[in-house]
Amino acid sequence: MDHSFDDVWAECEDLFAQARQRLATLKTPQPPHVMQASVNALFRATHTLKGMAGMLGFPRFSQAAHRMEDIFDLMRQGRLRSTDSLLETLESGIQALESGMAGLRRGRPEMDDYLHAIRRQLGELEALARPPEGAVLDLTALLDLPPDLLKSLSEYERTRVTAVLLAGIRIHGISVCLDLANFDDRLRSISEAAGAQGELISTLPLEMHDDRDGLFFLLLVAAPSLDVQGLGALPGESPEIMELGDPDRVPASLRADPGPLSPPPAADAPQAGAAPPLPQDVEVLRLPAHRVDALEARLMNVAQVRDSASQALRQLRDPGLEPPMAMMGEIEAGLLEVQKTLLQMRMVKVESLFQRIEPMVKSLSRDMGKPVRLSFQGGDLELERSLLGRLTEPFLHLVRNALDHGLESPSERVAQGKAETGSLRISASQRGRNLRFDIRDDGRGFDLARIEARGIAMGLLRPGQAHTSEDLHRLTLEPGFSTQERASQISGRGVGMDVVRAEVEGMGGEIQISSEPRRGSRVRLSLPLSRAVVGCLKVRCGSQAFGIPLSHVLRVQASSAALTGGDRIEVLGESLPMESLQACLGLPEPTGGQRFLVALRQQGAAAEAGLKLALGVDEVVGRTELLLRSLPELAHAPGIMGGSLQEEGILWVLDPEAVMSLAMDSLMRRVAGV
Amino acid sequence: MSEVSLLLHARAAGREILLPMTDLREVVAASPVAPLPGGPPGIQGVVLHQGEFLPVLDWAAVPGAGQPGPPKVLAVLRPRLGLPLEGLVGTPESPEGPWQDPDRDPWAPILAGLCRLGDRDLPVLDPDRLLALLHRLRSVR
Repeated sequence: MDHSFDDVWAECEDLFAQARQRLATLKTPQPPHVMQASVNALFRATHTLKGMAGMLGFPRFSQAAHRMEDIFDLMRQGRLRSTDSLLETLESGIQALESGMAGLRRGRPEMDDYLHAIRRQLGELEALARPPEGAVLDLTALLDLPPDLLKSLSEYERTRVTAVLLAGIRIHGISVCLDLANFDDRLRSISEAAGAQGELISTLPLEMHDDRDGLFFLLLVAAPSLDVQGLGALPGESPEIMELGDPDRVPASLRADPGPLSPPPAADAPQAGAAPPLPQDVEVLRLPAHRVDALEARLMNVAQVRDSASQALRQLRDPGLEPPMAMMGEIEAGLLEVQKTLLQMRMVKVESLFQRIEPMVKSLSRDMGKPVRLSFQGGDLELERSLLGRLTEPFLHLVRNALDHGLESPSERVAQGKAETGSLRISASQRGRNLRFDIRDDGRGFDLARIEARGIAMGLLRPGQAHTSEDLHRLTLEPGFSTQERASQISGRGVGMDVVRAEVEGMGGEIQISSEPRRGSRVRLSLPLSRAVVGCLKVRCGSQAFGIPLSHVLRVQASSAALTGGDRIEVLGESLPMESLQACLGLPEPTGGQRFLVALRQQGAAAEAGLKLALGVDEVVGRTELLLRSLPELAHAPGIMGGSLQEEGILWVLDPEAVMSLAMDSLMRRVAGV
Repeated sequence: MSEVSLLLHARAAGREILLPMTDLREVVAASPVAPLPGGPPGIQGVVLHQGEFLPVLDWAAVPGAGQPGPPKVLAVLRPRLGLPLEGLVGTPESPEGPWQDPDRDPWAPILAGLCRLGDRDLPVLDPDRLLALLHRLRSVR
């Protein structure tokens, strides 16, 4: 792949992420100025995408982006009302562009029309927004401004003035005098503060004929009222607020006809002064990942030096050194905080993946006539940004498959005694060093007999041999395998299941499929996290420290008698088997047994279900937060999901699920006497 | 201009070896290795290298290897594996002509060939073969 345009591709990804976020804002009731800011941002995003596509040499994509830009332009001029169907069309359009862009990045040829699926809806919207001949309404004359200033308003600003007056919102002017040395920063700051209180329509330079030094500006802001204190003006900037446009002066005949110009007032728009914060365009700092890597490595070296210094201080055993030791503690806490912040810079919430799926499911559900109830879980978890980019396309393919092949038609479902509406549940959870995604549907499940027959026909299976359900499900991940005679319009084209598997395995992950006839299917993706901050219980066995993720710790308990592996111990009224951590990890067990026990349970397991056991350790040190680094494949050790650098060396963080499994193996060996 | 291929001439596990420089990320001073409980055979533990854990080879797992001495430096291979080295001899140019077949060398499974330097044939390590050996050791555990 040519990497010379990596930055441009990455910026396109950012623009799509922003567009999805802005569309999500439009879907919830918001004050008009917040809606307007979002529409403006969408207009800018599609405009930039148009330019970037042109730069990359994709004229058809550029045309499609231009068409979406036009729709957002009509919206920002107030010529299109924000309705559910409009938002659905916009979501589908953005989704189509994003998917098209992903295809282009993979080297696929340009499509004839990226927006073909919403061509009819776009045509209707354009027709709806077209003003009747000679009927362009302009109410800017109602503004209490000198003619030369009125003349300087752009067409867009005139449309907005007209729209907000028709919507019954006052237009205020804010005049400020700014220092020549920093007027650009100050104007931006005051504009943002004004925009948070209402819709900022225009910023006009003023000519003032008085003896004050500085540059003068007039900001036109639509809002029921403005708070001058909230502008954050500095002494000498002399902000003054004046009323420039009164909606009561709009002729009654025009007010009676709301026309296509004004955006609908939000149902629960808060009063002025209590407006929610406006999503601001924040400056995005794009950094090559290797610079963050280098910074992390440097920080790690600093942490090592700190640990050495701390050890040296301890060895002096001087009571007068307590204050420096306390300072060392503060340095350690600060370093961990910086490391966590650096880690967060790489991370993105799983929710942003879910945001990409939702509009696609809605659109497919409508096109295929399959009503579906979509639910998400675990959106607050985080994964590395680099993984998200690679995961999106395979994920969308799996969801498309679930809708196309998994869920039955409503009539088929009713005939089987199922609810007419299908269910698609997508969940994310953290399991040990892995982030796990489950995609579950309650559809027909995989037709294993058909898969087996197809596998035999393709020479992938031997006839006459017994094949397990797991084998047959796995067969669907083989290159070229398909039970579809012809590709459907929805799936069976482009990315295949083998490509999904290759992509997931390329990230060091795994894919598993299971299903039950007429009950549904589950596709499980497990992806390793290379770094994470994990809350742990720190324990010690011999001279080695270990961290046990708190998510799996049920209770910590001391026993009056020393216990050895195979003994039982009562924990919270339940008798649990005990195994020594050393036995689990193949380390020499302590001869005198162990008195400290950590009761573990499987994550998410209800109190009465799931595996529980007591892990014997030599010492319980306490709770701590650790910056976990995963182990490379070559150093993978059973029961250990990674390590964290500590003053006394590397602390190994246990994978509780794997440790429980090792403990059960060890207990069984004890029973068997081997 | 002809391309000159450089080799790292070092001592490891009691013998002199060569490593193509193109297979190396860098050579760093040896630091204490953190043993990994239940770690895979052939890996003695990890060290921190550029903020990540780097697995370190255990020469004792290589068939035919002698008793390794205390390591002075660590050669970091491109496939992110650390080789403890007991000393460095130099960075000679690879002589023209093919390397000899190493099939009679006890380390043959991990060698790319034998390279004639002066009057001696020295083993040239092949990192891919070394990794394949580590995977084999793990699979038979």
